[in-house]
Amino acid sequence: MAVLSDPDRVALWAKLMQDASASRTPLPLLKAELRAAVDAADAWADANAAAYNTALPLPARTALTSKQKALLLMYVIERRWEVSP
Amino acid sequence: MTTTRAVFTPFAAVPVGANFPQLLKTASDQDALAFDAATDEACAWKFKAWQGLTVPLTAVITVAMVSATTGTTGWQVQVEAVTPADALNTITTSSFDTVNNSASTTVPAAVGNTQDISVTLTNNDSIAVGDLCRLRLNRDADGSAITDSATGDAYVLGVELRDAT
Repeated sequence: MAVLSDPDRVALWAKLMQDASASRTPLPLLKAELRAAVDAADAWADANAAAYNTALPLPARTALTSKQKALLLMYVIERRWEVSP
Repeated sequence: MTTTRAVFTPFAAVPVGANFPQLLKTASDQDALAFDAATDEACAWKFKAWQGLTVPLTAVITVAMVSATTGTTGWQVQVEAVTPADALNTITTSSFDTVNNSASTTVPAAVGNTQDISVTLTNNDSIAVGDLCRLRLNRDADGSAITDSATGDAYVLGVELRDAT
């Protein structure tokens, strides 16, 4: 898929700020700096989608749908986030 | 010289407009109004214009940031002053004066520390003794008029209203 739309990026940006507030986590960034990070992360995901697909072994690479591959990556990152110190 | 004429607490705030700051209790058992960082949110307090009123009024907003330790916030305060027998349908219509903007104010360096932000109410809707008034507070989260670059919620813990007496 292409990069996220601007409203989607705005929603993600707002969610990050709300999450930081809800968890009382210091966030020493300006709004514009956080937005730039959101944009960069999304652009990176888009630019490296093909590389991720190539990294998947057969038969998963051809058997899984794009949505399923995205879910797999999301779960891996989620788990890595949960177990990271 | 200035004199404190009213103190407004979060629990006394009334929602105005489409987006209202969340009313909550903090872990330290303080009531607070949580103003979003991305969307403008507003509330208002009602008061009667007191005897001996002297303009200009000043609103002093006590704010603590929930997560931001850098950046700035911007606040907008409006006054509505309705004189008895004014030709205004107060049940259906608001008549707030033009906004008064705060300075774009750097947040405290530590989460939860308070700061006072003063806004001189130059636009006061020609407030006069005995008027039924409302003070409307809005965080300019979208930065339409004031640079508001701080991330995360801003907790308003109280607002003081002073006059020039």
